[in-house]
Amino acid sequence: MGIGPSTKETSLHHFRDPLLDIVSADEDLDLMGVMIVGTPDDNEDKLLVGTRAAVWAEAMRADGAILSTDGWGNSDVDFVNMAEQMEIRGIPVTGLKFSGTVGQFVVTNDHLDGIKDINKSAAGVETNMVGENNVTELDARKVTAHLKLKMRLKEQHPGSR
Amino acid sequence: MGEEIDLRRLVIRTYHVTDIEEGDTNKVLADGCLYYSKKVLAGILSGYPQLEALDIKLIPPGSEGHNRYTNTIMDIIPVSTKVLGKLGEGITHTLTGVYVLLTGVDVNGKQAHEFGSSEGNLRERLYLNRAGTPGDGDFILSFDVTLKAGKGQEREGVTAAHRACDEWIQIFREQMKKFRGEKCTQRHEYHDIVRPGKKRVVIVKQVAGQGAMYDMSLFAKEPSGMEGGKSIIDMGNMPVLVTPNEYRDGILRSMQ
Repeated sequence: MGIGPSTKETSLHHFRDPLLDIVSADEDLDLMGVMIVGTPDDNEDKLLVGTRAAVWAEAMRADGAILSTDGWGNSDVDFVNMAEQMEIRGIPVTGLKFSGTVGQFVVTNDHLDGIKDINKSAAGVETNMVGENNVTELDARKVTAHLKLKMRLKEQHPGSR
Repeated sequence: MGEEIDLRRLVIRTYHVTDIEEGDTNKVLADGCLYYSKKVLAGILSGYPQLEALDIKLIPPGSEGHNRYTNTIMDIIPVSTKVLGKLGEGITHTLTGVYVLLTGVDVNGKQAHEFGSSEGNLRERLYLNRAGTPGDGDFILSFDVTLKAGKGQEREGVTAAHRACDEWIQIFREQMKKFRGEKCTQRHEYHDIVRPGKKRVVIVKQVAGQGAMYDMSLFAKEPSGMEGGKSIIDMGNMPVLVTPNEYRDGILRSMQ
């Protein structure tokens, strides 16, 4: 499992989350809500919860989704599957996850081009310093802009992802 | 393109704390004075058989103040309370200038962590000025929990630590509910807005849910609170949906 001190989002982080601030303030976007999904232990469950999130997003007729996690390691299984399940339903995805040098995706697929590394440490490691590798406003701006680009491309080329 | 639709309003009033001292009781005033007292801790402790001891320490802002040992940081919590309405609408009062740092270790010195821990010199273990950490000028009230042997690695122990801390914070919340609105330092207004015709977007936050301190609590009665909260583990880690205003009103309590 894994959420280290430097990536962990505290209750204070959620209270003043830069990702929510940026997306909700963007007048080009209609932010429908924030979905919270857990990371189960069991592998089948890992695939289930992300798939249910994607089904829900489809039912909401979402044009796009931003996925964000403060975990890394085996929770990549959940994250990567969720990105795939969103995109095969025609919902472009960008996202935020710590990778650095030690937290590269343990599994991959073709749906991770919009995922931005939130590492801030020089060595790309879990520094055990609370807050260091957290999502910042700049990270949030980048993935929001990237999602807008992906949604526009999809509109211009409906057949492609 | 239709007109924007305003679904609901959330007002967050902030009260800036400028002076903190140890006192006879736990007391916070709208004019920026806060007193903390350890006398209440014995009573709180008696409700949690998983815990051995509780302590409160005041950590002043500045490099010298932070030059001290800390046990591993389990969470950083804003002190906020609902004054009117439920989470996500109405009025919330919150303190700025001070944040609660929940730390934990067991009686054998085993830190309450699971995947890297942050005990050590606070100066080297806390990155300031992030969204989730105090700023350069902020006070920290450290709520330090000593758990019984091994309980820092067990879900019931970690949950007890969060609950004990929440009980203490609730003392301040009850007083903050009575703060007069016009005494606030800042007033922020947030709206859940529908923007018809604009690209519909959902934010998905993937959170911890594997057990022990690897947990997330939602839907507490108070902002960033524990009481009345439901664990994402108990909800099968299945997706749940919250409004932007519910989220920014502290509907999540981070337990990992």
